[in-house]
Amino acid sequence: MATLIEATGISKVYHKTTVPVHAVNNMDLTIEEGEFTAIVGPSGCGKTTLLNILGGLDYPSSGKVEIAGVDITDMKDRDLIDFRLSNIGFVFQAYNLIPVLTAVENVEFIMLLQKKGKKEREVRARELLIQMSMGDKLDSRPGELAGGQQQRVAVARALASKPRFILADEPTANLDSASTENLLNLMSQINTEQHTTFVFSTHDQRVMDKAKRLVTLQDGAIISDTRR
Amino acid sequence: MIGAMVVGIWALSFGSGFMQSFLIGYIESAIRYETSNGQIHHPSFMEDQDIKFTIGDPLKVVAYLKEQSAVRGICARSLVNGMISSARQATGVRIVGVNPVEEADVTHLDSLIADGEYFSTVLSNPVLIGEKLAEKLKVKVKAKVVLTFQDANGNITAGRFRVAGILHAASLVINESSAYVRKDDLNRLLNINAAIHEIAYITNPGTDDQALADQLNKKFPNEKTSSWQELSPALVFMQQWMGAILKVLIVVIMTALAFGIVNTMLMAVLERIRELGVLMALGMNRGRVFLMIMMETIFLTTIGGPLGLIAGYATISYLGEKGIDLSSYSEGLEAIGYESVLYPSLGTTDYIQIVVGVLITAILASIYPAWKAIQYNPVEAIHTL
Repeated sequence: MATLIEATGISKVYHKTTVPVHAVNNMDLTIEEGEFTAIVGPSGCGKTTLLNILGGLDYPSSGKVEIAGVDITDMKDRDLIDFRLSNIGFVFQAYNLIPVLTAVENVEFIMLLQKKGKKEREVRARELLIQMSMGDKLDSRPGELAGGQQQRVAVARALASKPRFILADEPTANLDSASTENLLNLMSQINTEQHTTFVFSTHDQRVMDKAKRLVTLQDGAIISDTRR
Repeated sequence: MIGAMVVGIWALSFGSGFMQSFLIGYIESAIRYETSNGQIHHPSFMEDQDIKFTIGDPLKVVAYLKEQSAVRGICARSLVNGMISSARQATGVRIVGVNPVEEADVTHLDSLIADGEYFSTVLSNPVLIGEKLAEKLKVKVKAKVVLTFQDANGNITAGRFRVAGILHAASLVINESSAYVRKDDLNRLLNINAAIHEIAYITNPGTDDQALADQLNKKFPNEKTSSWQELSPALVFMQQWMGAILKVLIVVIMTALAFGIVNTMLMAVLERIRELGVLMALGMNRGRVFLMIMMETIFLTTIGGPLGLIAGYATISYLGEKGIDLSSYSEGLEAIGYESVLYPSLGTTDYIQIVVGVLITAILASIYPAWKAIQYNPVEAIHTL
């Protein structure tokens, strides 16, 4: 498998208080294409910060991150936004769907930003939502959907832009057991069938059980990295 | 925000219309009752109102004026400054000798009669005076007054007149310091036969009064024609002054509107920090986010704007027809020469200016909230509760 993400010596220091906080501390991490990786650890260990840096949402204080050979740490903000749009899909803990848009419009939205044609957007959004077992909720707004259903729409949205990989920050934290099981099965199936790379941050045991690789953090550093 | 926009634009249209009514009412009143649109005199008369400065060939001037399509009314007057005395009081006045028919046609003097009748109740030497002057002299209709002045030979002469009517006017000149008599009566006492001192004319709406005055000055170089702007620089100053006040009013209302928009849009941005963070995280660049907030403001303006304009138009149309009765303040208003009923009005150009002004205000006011929106870091914005 080819290397997709390569983080070398990355650190992130926050200076919001008088004492600097090292959220990520001189970390090296490589993610291969097609992996189904869970980044785990206790609260405050740096999972979300690491995901933000890998996803180009935040700049590291030092070190560099290459995605498919492209160094994103030197990119200007504007270029980074464009890079995210074409290469990275995001799934957030709180779903973060646009409340005034229907499920299908939420999925279409990202393709609209990519300037895809109306027909192409509609077809792909419907396909993805059907794939996520949301075919009967295409025209429902987020407020009319249960948490698990909203998260499935969020995954469809993340897939819509045909990204190189998907970053999911605690995707199951707000879901009940059945919804979690359902969502994990769908993502696992997409990973197996379409070789889509997934990187999760979680402390949910059910996600850890499904993950094919487990990267454990503590105090901003990797303390174990196991593949199954 | 739409409500604030509607109220702001309504206030702007109505405020402008109300101010215009003050200005137009004052100027129209002054033109109608005092200056007319233009006056013709002997060149020296305006500097030294001596009765010897009469118009050379008034018939020729009047005939020429009658040929002008822009002129819709002409009246000739003889004038002299003198004293008016009753049994109780005496005061200085400007005695105006008029042809009652011509005067009614040009100044509508007959419409100002508050008591008595327009020259017809008294057959011999009738005089019309204003309410304030009547109060001062303590006279009523049919009372006797004496007008004293110098005649053409330099002799002090006096004539006994009887009050035929009392005039009620916003104009201070009419109300306090004029006495209107028949021209023939005055000329006989002045001993000037049919000579006249002043020809006043009124023009059709939209006429360039200054251009017409210039044309008359060329045609009759031995007389001096003055437009109302020249006759009353105070009116021109008033016009400019009210225009400046109107601009200040517009700036004040626009500023209030701008603050309203900034406030509302900032609230909208603050309420949606998380949503904006998600949009930026997903790949919406800052330029698009900026544009989105601006478009949202303009969209709200395009809804609120027309509603405000309709409300303003409806109010102005209604009050323009019915008038705003300020009679409870009439004494104060009339003391400074205003009518007590005002009729707000706004032209199409004014409405267009308001629309453009509001749109520009909305665009300018949306810049700060839009700029604020793009300052958020997507990571921090997404985690905002």
